[in-house]
Amino acid sequence: MNDPILRIRKYERDRVNFVLENVDMAFANSLRRVMMADLPTVAIDIVEIQANTTVLPDEFISHRLGMIPLVSSNCDVAMRYTRDCNCFENCAFCSIILVLNVKCHDSTTMDVTSNHLEVVPHEDQGMEEAGEEQVKRIEKFGSPVGKNEPGVEPILICKIRKGQELKLKCIVKKGIAKEHAKWSPCSAVSFEYDPHNKLRHTSYWFETDERAEWPLGENAAEEEAPREGEPFDFNAKPSKFYFDVETDGSLGAQEVVMKVRIIVSFLSF
Amino acid sequence: MNAPDRFTLFVLDEGEAPVEVNEDTKIPNAATIKILKQDHTLGNMLRAQLLSMPQVLFAGYKVPHPLHPYFLLKIQTDGSIAPDLLLSEACNQLIGTLASLEGKFKREFAFKEADGAGLGATGVGGAGHGGAAFATSDDPYGTGAGTGGTASWGNRDDYLDF
Repeated sequence: MNDPILRIRKYERDRVNFVLENVDMAFANSLRRVMMADLPTVAIDIVEIQANTTVLPDEFISHRLGMIPLVSSNCDVAMRYTRDCNCFENCAFCSIILVLNVKCHDSTTMDVTSNHLEVVPHEDQGMEEAGEEQVKRIEKFGSPVGKNEPGVEPILICKIRKGQELKLKCIVKKGIAKEHAKWSPCSAVSFEYDPHNKLRHTSYWFETDERAEWPLGENAAEEEAPREGEPFDFNAKPSKFYFDVETDGSLGAQEVVMKVRIIVSFLSF
Repeated sequence: MNAPDRFTLFVLDEGEAPVEVNEDTKIPNAATIKILKQDHTLGNMLRAQLLSMPQVLFAGYKVPHPLHPYFLLKIQTDGSIAPDLLLSEACNQLIGTLASLEGKFKREFAFKEADGAGLGATGVGGAGHGGAAFATSDDPYGTGAGTGGTASWGNRDDYLDF
């Protein structure tokens, strides 16, 4: 059995760059697909607008709210899907409530941002004991990523002038990006192999000189350049894959990469 | 109105079997396996794993229609093992590879964390860069030139001054 070789080149809280070797292209691509579309996160799914006198229509604001990344660490065990929950509509086990209530009283334009979104407990919460899911949630679970953190620019939802107000209640649900891209933990996943195009999986368009018009990427330094006049090896297979996973902050890069184990659950039928 | 729930694309219905095996009647040692609620992520990976196994004569998959959430996997073996057994063998191999990869990730992350103590500073902070400079120069009403900024439009009587 082939054993993958892994090297992490760069690792930050919200991005990880790694090289994967000795695996099949199909395997590497499945890894990429899983990171983008199969990992659960939480996002605003339902918005109840109580007052909106801003210039933006309700659906416009709802859509913008849905796109805001929310802290989703450990979300696969800390939250239920509403479809798996035995509640009537939504409850403390399968949803989180965020409220936003702002009114502009100044004579200057005011920014309504993700910092105004507040997590509030469910009405029935506290009456019964916190379930096993809630215990696994971290403190900031469900609140906008980077809220009130120094150096993090909040996400602008809308701008309001004097006398305008925006008051709404958001219901946050768990989901995956196959349902809606807002649930994707990744903002970008780059995937490259064969930087010298030795395998000729692509053909470059050029005007006069291919080499001059298509400069090599930084991954090209990892592999030996083809010699001049080297015969084409039609049996060669790609085996070294360069990944760069960048998350929107809802899950950390490490968490995203570690959760690819979710494929095992697909395979265990 | 009558749109199906979006999650029916990736969640099995109640009592629905995830796999259907249809043995081929005209080709020896061959089977067409229908795997429900899965897509290219699994299909391509299984196909590639099967092709790497010496007992396999043929392995291929197709997603017959992009709106139908299943794929068909066709396997023909050399007769030493039944196609469905071979598939479960392939699955086990993939699970092994994944487990090994997970272990490697764990180890690499542990190394990186050990020598990169100042990680938090380089993390999310980078996401907000450039935003501050943009916000200060932002003057959507173009009033900055005369009266020095945003207070200008509010100084006169405003119909919103209740």
